[in-house]
Amino acid sequence: MTDMAKDLTTAAPPTPRLDFNTPALQRKRRRRALQDRLARWYVTVGGLAVLGAITLIFFYLIQVVLPMFQGAELSAQGEPQRPAWLAEQGQALLLAVEEQNEVAMRLDARGQVRFFEAAGERLLGQVALPIPAGAEIVSLGRDLPGSNRLVLGFSNGQALVFGHSYQVTYPGNVKTVTPRIDYPFGETPIPLDPQGRPLHQVAMNVGSDGLLLAASTGNQVLALELSREENLMTGEVTLSERRLELPQLAEPVKALLIDPRQLWLYVINGRSTADVFDLRRQELNGRYKLLADPQAEVTEVTALLGGLSLMVGDSKGGIEQWFMARGETGPELKHVRGFQLAGSPIVQILPEERRKGFLALDAAGNLGVFHSTAHRTLLVEPVAGAGALAALSPRADQLLLESAGRLQSFALDNPHPEVSWSALWGKVWYESYDEPQYVWQSTSANTDFEPKLSLAPLTFGTLKAAFYAMLLAAPMAICAAIYTAYFMAPAMRTKVKPVIELMEALPTVILGFFAGLFLAPYVESHLPGIFSLLLLTPLGILAAAYGWSRLPERIRLRVPDGWEAALLIPVILVVGAFALGMSGHLENWFFGGDMRLWLTNDLGIKFDQRNALVVGLAMGFAVIPNIFSIAEDAVFSVPKSLTLGSLALGATPWQTLTRVVILTASPGIFSALMIGLGRAVGETMIVLMATGNTPIMDVNVFEGLRTLAANVAVEMPESEVGSSHYRVLFLSALVLLMFTFVMNTAAELIRTRLRKKYASL
Amino acid sequence: MRHESPSHGIDLDALGRKKQAFNLASEPVTLEVPGLSLFYGSKQALHDVRMNIPKHRVTAFIGPSGCGKSTLLRCFNRMNDLVDGCRVEGAINLDGQNIYRKGVDVAELRRRVGMVFQKPNPFPKSIYENVVYGLRIQGINKKRTLDDAVEWALKGAALWDEVKDRLHDSALGLSGGQQQRLVIARTIAVEPEVLLLDEPCSALDPISTLKVEELIFELKSKYTIVIVTHNMQQAARVSDYTAFMYMGKLIEYGDTDTLFTNPAQKQTEDYITGRYG
Repeated sequence: MTDMAKDLTTAAPPTPRLDFNTPALQRKRRRRALQDRLARWYVTVGGLAVLGAITLIFFYLIQVVLPMFQGAELSAQGEPQRPAWLAEQGQALLLAVEEQNEVAMRLDARGQVRFFEAAGERLLGQVALPIPAGAEIVSLGRDLPGSNRLVLGFSNGQALVFGHSYQVTYPGNVKTVTPRIDYPFGETPIPLDPQGRPLHQVAMNVGSDGLLLAASTGNQVLALELSREENLMTGEVTLSERRLELPQLAEPVKALLIDPRQLWLYVINGRSTADVFDLRRQELNGRYKLLADPQAEVTEVTALLGGLSLMVGDSKGGIEQWFMARGETGPELKHVRGFQLAGSPIVQILPEERRKGFLALDAAGNLGVFHSTAHRTLLVEPVAGAGALAALSPRADQLLLESAGRLQSFALDNPHPEVSWSALWGKVWYESYDEPQYVWQSTSANTDFEPKLSLAPLTFGTLKAAFYAMLLAAPMAICAAIYTAYFMAPAMRTKVKPVIELMEALPTVILGFFAGLFLAPYVESHLPGIFSLLLLTPLGILAAAYGWSRLPERIRLRVPDGWEAALLIPVILVVGAFALGMSGHLENWFFGGDMRLWLTNDLGIKFDQRNALVVGLAMGFAVIPNIFSIAEDAVFSVPKSLTLGSLALGATPWQTLTRVVILTASPGIFSALMIGLGRAVGETMIVLMATGNTPIMDVNVFEGLRTLAANVAVEMPESEVGSSHYRVLFLSALVLLMFTFVMNTAAELIRTRLRKKYASL
Repeated sequence: MRHESPSHGIDLDALGRKKQAFNLASEPVTLEVPGLSLFYGSKQALHDVRMNIPKHRVTAFIGPSGCGKSTLLRCFNRMNDLVDGCRVEGAINLDGQNIYRKGVDVAELRRRVGMVFQKPNPFPKSIYENVVYGLRIQGINKKRTLDDAVEWALKGAALWDEVKDRLHDSALGLSGGQQQRLVIARTIAVEPEVLLLDEPCSALDPISTLKVEELIFELKSKYTIVIVTHNMQQAARVSDYTAFMYMGKLIEYGDTDTLFTNPAQKQTEDYITGRYG
């Protein structure tokens, strides 16, 4: 050693054998440097591009979602018009705009109907309604929102039903809207009050059975049911009528409304009282106080789209929503939610004809735009002076306002009123429900349907599916990983590990297909077997292990160290066959032949064939390889020196495992679990095919669920691009992204902390 | 440290050790090896080794790489059991009891025969938890007892003054030499009878090595110490007895002074004068 050292220090530098500075080698060196620079650039650009792509996806989702949370916008179209024809008209009773926003209609107190251009206010036509001689119009009632039928109450106790309709034709390729007035129940006014008293309030409802008219004169309420029969040959209309008996009221009637199923008649009387009559039984259902504030008075009542909800406007600018729901003793009128405009009395409430939204106008000329289900106030803006009358177009995109002899039209931009934080995440009291609930039901066949857009059941379903999958996968995968990495013979490990990792490559659609079509019916018919399998397998393994340790050494030594796990294969097969084979007998002995029926009838547990148990089994199977692979690597990479150090201190292998190995591997095991959870939360195909996709909130393992991911997959194809439904689906995708993002970030923070603490050497 | 290599053997005077009269035959015996062979599969790694390890003395095993000195050391606490295909024939008596007999509690044996490895291997826990690890696995969890043990063991390993203010910091923040002394503290905390040191200084810098060597000198009053080393100066500095092994055989075994100044075997002389190894 010393001789060599001397050589190095004292010998003269020898002539180099190789010349490292030939032009060829210098070129190669330059190329090497260039390669290095290129590689660095490539990696940097690639990494930034990935970050950029994720950020762009994020912003794209936000950009689609954001319009939902913007309020409404009202913009005046042109200057207020004062058309000449308007000056000679009587006081307006009603304004209306047709669907195309081209033709508007005005009805005045003298029974004159004027059709005019909504944009130019040019007169298009006029009709005089057949008012009985000597009578005057005292009241106006309308059918449900979306219907163009109206009823007029006269001072002579008669009522006239008429409708305004608009026919669109294209003569010479020019769109022409032709308005007309029709009388579906004849031009002759219907005598409602035999005594001929003036009808102060009038209401109507056209149902499948016919026409129901209600009117009040003073404190007396009258109701008349007309069945309309049309002779197919002659087109002649015959009406048969039935009078309903209703008791007299103590106070004068303020408003009348009829339930769309003709079950209830709402009579608003006094300052703020609602008497609800049961029309079938012809009796009073109950008397309700509509306003909590004794100072306030009801000033306006309108039915919302569908007719189930009453919107009650009061003198303090409040608008309260009421509908019939089941109470303790039967149906009751319940207060659902309230809105507030400025402070002036509400004079007009305009329900939308396609959505559960409404506009309200107060005496000071303030206009409010609201949505009932979302409990949202989208706009409050002064639009006119006192005494204004407004009309909302059927598409709720145009507002026509008459104020002080002038007409003004406004464009209303209100694309997504039905979405709000409370509608998405809170309990919402929907129409026809008995109490506030979390419901996802985005679409239906009819137009007066109330979309139920709660993301809560979907989020719950996502977590439920992930929970049951992790319940199966986490203990199995972690224990398997620890055994494989720590106890198993290396030769066996090299076979076992790739096989389990190969499971990851299984397409999830196959797993979902298998789970939905084979596993679900099989689990249903072998319920006791499945449960005894879950119970007996660990017990069987323990028993086999104990038995093995009691065998004489002679036999035990034949199995090389670390290969004992292979002995469990027959044990598991036998236990499995036994458990599933006993299933039928168990069912006969304990569950009266059918465990499913027993669960439903005796325990009252609902059972769906495609349920969380099936999802737990199938998705757990899909998640196991993810968790196993990472956890196994983590345990295996614990330095041997730590294990030896622990054993050398007198620890048993088990103590070494629990106190040193798992501790050191904990960051890796933790990230394995998090990656498994992320996979379970985002998994689509398996839950789509194996859950039944029922968006319910129930922890019951025998009931189905619907996850956020599956919901997007199911509903995206049928949602209209740009609609609220479409944007809510994007929102659920964003929620999913945020969920995984937040979870992964938290996991990464915890993991780095763990790693700092337990970094192996 | 003086690094002077005379051409024949080690100059013990130069290493600054006091000459002591040692007589192997008259020492009380802790570990008795009446004849031990070890096989890795079909390959024999130890050939009928016979020796007695004296009580409360430092015994060094020297020899070239692969001579079986570490293997022999690992036989004393049965760490070879963990090696696949390893088979031991013969016996080792610890205080007159064969540690290879049936029904021996290997974990308890390893508590009595502690071991320190080549590379410091503290657990990824606090300094405190590292020291009490061996006690906790024995089921001792009383804080008072543990606190006492930590102070005692760290003082015993000459580490107390350096770490007493940061007992609950991670042990991974210590320097290599401190880590190795922590490992020694951890080992003596369970109060073993024998301390096996497997090249304890090979991963350490010279200053840390010096500290560990001083520690070994301190510890021998309480423990029987067996040390495997590649470094002959170290063997000469710290040990009372030295065994020279070659090709799985024990070639020569005697008191260190004699072995280094007047080896009986030609192979020993060749090795210590640097002719091979």
